[in-house]
Amino acid sequence: MAPGLPRHRAASALAAVTVALAMTACGGGSDNSSGSGNPDDGSQLTMWVRSATDQFSQRLVDEYNASHKNHISLTIIPNDNYLTKVGAAAGSHTLPDILASDVVYTPNYTKQGLFQDLTEEIKSLPFYSSIAKSHLDVATYQGKIYAVPHKLDSSVLFYNKDLFRKAGLDPEKPPKNFAEILDYARKITALGNGITGFDIAGSCGGCGVYTLFPYAWAAGVEPLPDNGTKVNINNDTFKQIFGLYRQLTEEKLVASSDKTQDGSTWPNNFLAGKVGMLALGSPIVGALQQQKIFEWGVTPLMAPDGSDTATFIGGDVAGISVSSKHKAQAWDFLKWTLEENQQVEIIAKNGDLPGRTDLSGNKYTAADPRTKLIADGLAKGHTPFALPFGDLFNNPNGPWVETIRGAIYGPDLDKALAEGQEKIQKGLDAAS
Amino acid sequence: MSTTAPAEAPVRTPPLTRRRAHRPATRRPLTGLLFVAPTAVVVAGLFLAPLGILVYMSFTDWPLLGSPTPNGLDNYRQLGDDDQFTGAITFTLLYTAITTVVLFAVAFVLVAISNSPRRGARFYRTAYFLPYVVGTAAASSMWWVDSHDELGVFNRLLQAVGLIDRPIGLLATPGKALGTVIALVVWKFIGFQVIVLLVGLQSIPGEYYEAAMVDGASVWQRLRYVTFPGLKPTLALLTVLSVTGSLLAFDQFFVLTHGGPDNSTVTVVLALYNKAFQSYRLGNAAAEAVVLLVALIILNVVQLRLLRSRDREE
Amino acid sequence: MSSSTLAPRRTVRRHGGPLQRATRTAAYHVFSAAVAIAFLFPLVWAALNSVKDRDEANRQPPTWFPHSFSLENYRNLQSFDQGIGVYLRNSIVVSALTVVGSVVVCVLGGYGFARFRFPGKNALFGTTLAILMVPYATILLPLYILLSKIGMLNTLIGLALVLVMFQLPFGIFMMRNSFESVPRELEEAALVDGCTDFGAMWRISARIVAPGVVTVALFSFLIAWNEFLAPLFILNDGRKYTLPVMLVNIRYASFNILDVGALQAGVVVAMVPCLVVYLALQRFYVSGLVAGALRG
Repeated sequence: MAPGLPRHRAASALAAVTVALAMTACGGGSDNSSGSGNPDDGSQLTMWVRSATDQFSQRLVDEYNASHKNHISLTIIPNDNYLTKVGAAAGSHTLPDILASDVVYTPNYTKQGLFQDLTEEIKSLPFYSSIAKSHLDVATYQGKIYAVPHKLDSSVLFYNKDLFRKAGLDPEKPPKNFAEILDYARKITALGNGITGFDIAGSCGGCGVYTLFPYAWAAGVEPLPDNGTKVNINNDTFKQIFGLYRQLTEEKLVASSDKTQDGSTWPNNFLAGKVGMLALGSPIVGALQQQKIFEWGVTPLMAPDGSDTATFIGGDVAGISVSSKHKAQAWDFLKWTLEENQQVEIIAKNGDLPGRTDLSGNKYTAADPRTKLIADGLAKGHTPFALPFGDLFNNPNGPWVETIRGAIYGPDLDKALAEGQEKIQKGLDAAS
Repeated sequence: MSTTAPAEAPVRTPPLTRRRAHRPATRRPLTGLLFVAPTAVVVAGLFLAPLGILVYMSFTDWPLLGSPTPNGLDNYRQLGDDDQFTGAITFTLLYTAITTVVLFAVAFVLVAISNSPRRGARFYRTAYFLPYVVGTAAASSMWWVDSHDELGVFNRLLQAVGLIDRPIGLLATPGKALGTVIALVVWKFIGFQVIVLLVGLQSIPGEYYEAAMVDGASVWQRLRYVTFPGLKPTLALLTVLSVTGSLLAFDQFFVLTHGGPDNSTVTVVLALYNKAFQSYRLGNAAAEAVVLLVALIILNVVQLRLLRSRDREE
Repeated sequence: MSSSTLAPRRTVRRHGGPLQRATRTAAYHVFSAAVAIAFLFPLVWAALNSVKDRDEANRQPPTWFPHSFSLENYRNLQSFDQGIGVYLRNSIVVSALTVVGSVVVCVLGGYGFARFRFPGKNALFGTTLAILMVPYATILLPLYILLSKIGMLNTLIGLALVLVMFQLPFGIFMMRNSFESVPRELEEAALVDGCTDFGAMWRISARIVAPGVVTVALFSFLIAWNEFLAPLFILNDGRKYTLPVMLVNIRYASFNILDVGALQAGVVVAMVPCLVVYLALQRFYVSGLVAGALRG
């Protein structure tokens, strides 16, 4: 066999050109022009979402179907298998018309060319400048935008006001720094009866980035600088962050099941009224509003010394897959979801955050000071960007989970951070 | 009525060794082909064809989207770099060894119970088999909830009987996670082993036992010289099935532990799955799959040869 | 075909007087019953949990006996995603297709392997058995690609065909051995009387191998009913998903707020048909193993 190298390079160059051509052909909007004719023409569309957004997406789709001629059939796929399905479908060009994607996986998808180019359509929206920039950023690749926000969520620190009262703490004064978190946790755990002051997801990578990165951002430290080509967790700030969690664990201020918490029952203890403080996110607001067990409050995630606050803007984006032959119709749906009525009456009304900053003051969000706080906090929001993010951080068998567990439960915190940094950097290098 | 056919077989043809009656070959091989045609179509179309695609994939760089590019033996050469895969091999072998031993040990106890002529044996046998009938996904989900420290019942049970005084995190350490998975596997699959062993026991002619007792053999001697030799083909079949099944274990690890804690329960197939669908390195995953398949074929051929030759020595 | 064939045929000499016998009997039952309870416990527990009302089912730690009785969890299943009715129907369709397909292919194939010699016989048989040795998670992607090329992707029929393929090793092996245990004289006599091969198989052997057939059918049903990865992979349309996929979706629903009651109810719904089918067919299944699987 002739030496594979030159042939390999030529072949991969050819492949890249083919993909690029395919992308521009679809993205140019040549035969799927959104200008000609009404896109609501009774087409049948398919859409895939993760099970984490099931009810959210279902509400939107149901309302769209009821008020339009087009019909979208929504397929909900278990979180754990979403990547698998997308991978398989991508490989055989059977992706759905509309594909939702977790923000942290989106850079990988846009790089692989799974979405059609929507730059023109998005920029021509009248409210373009108020669309959540964090989501547009992760969906941008080489200057082109490929998806719009579908679901927005933001991480925040929840706390149980009833437990605060019982522990002799002021329910209107949530913790403002790490020292207070530790102190309050001690007082609340002292109440006994299975009550704990805090709650950690000890085996969950996604949970970790969602709630730990904001502490760092608030302290002015960026864990994934240089557009996600470097990693920076081996520093004093993260030592403080993991140090706090380590101490919470050692003093038994968290439930014993936290060590194996993989995220699937993360909010359960708090929702049952047994936890004093929980760093999680806006997705559980709906459930909190419905429960009648206890009174709850929120406060932003803060720097260890309390000097500033930040939040992780997470959630999903939705784009039109490269296999779709219904670009105009699919865009009709996506555009519709971003319009004010839907953002307010369907999304905000059910306790979720609107994907547009100009609507964060809407009557539902503003009605509850807690949701208003979360919506206002978006101004200090970040969404991390890295190509192999999912594989390195969300992967239950990946290096970030290993780092978390080593730092919190292992014998040597510093060593865990140093090794973790090395492994993650290695992964980032391999992907670029 | 026909199930007594084995008992009516002439004594000089031991039902244990495979001996085909000497008949002239059917004059119509074409008819035979017709009968197996559906099988051949399914095997060729839905097994060999995808297998071929898999082998092809193992020699290419297969991106998520776009055309695959052949890259020779690169994927195979990179096998050694995949720590998760190589680590999984050790773990899978360990898991297989432990599970096979535990399964056989527990099976023998349960067979002793089920084989008793006492009343109720049939009820017990059914009880041991019922978990087999539940799907692995459902069973694993059930066990996952049951093992949970707060939501689950296993810890409550252990506390109630006084074995522990607070929830012990049944999936929290490598040892405990492995133990919980093995408990699940035993619970789910032992019924099948018991039934197969029972059937094997039944096919040992009663006359052998009577002859042994006439000769004054004790219980242990009967076990050793009549029961165990008689059970050889059954044990052979069960060993092959059990070992292959354990080497290919996936569902229970995926649902119950997801390879944790700390990647201590990653089996070979789980590592493969991660490579394909977490890292999207489909070519590498295909190479690993091919290697696994070849290893299994060799292993099974060797096993069958060994067991078959011991069989013929009888 | 009663399962009394599993009763030991050898006589048991009884040692000791009536008191010792009684003690041994008691010990036997205590031990065996304890083990039986341990085996049945998770299943019973799931059923118990599923009839508590939703709040109680999600309580931690869980209550022993239900303080409430409610079918709320089952009702919630009706509004979960597509509604449990849809998933049930899909599971039934796929299982029926798989059972029919497996039985047809395995009976015909088993007869062919048992009674005829033809070129490639051993190769085909060996290849069929080799299906057992492939970790099926790895050929799911090539299967996906293949099915999409022949237009069978996202169809229940395509899924059923794949499940039939997974059944072949066990099914062919069973049926071949079942047919081999039928005395050739009966068939020869029928052939001499003018039956075709198919007629001989149908009229003479079929009744004898019926237990084997039932075993194959039972196993196909169990696998088709409980299979999780294959439907998830091959089906793209949420309305075609089967029960196991629904179960996993419950586990990972709405941002990690697990509804334990709904999950247990789903598990019960998935479990009960299998238990019922198995218990009804028990006698056939066991006799099937006797007649088929263990001959050599």
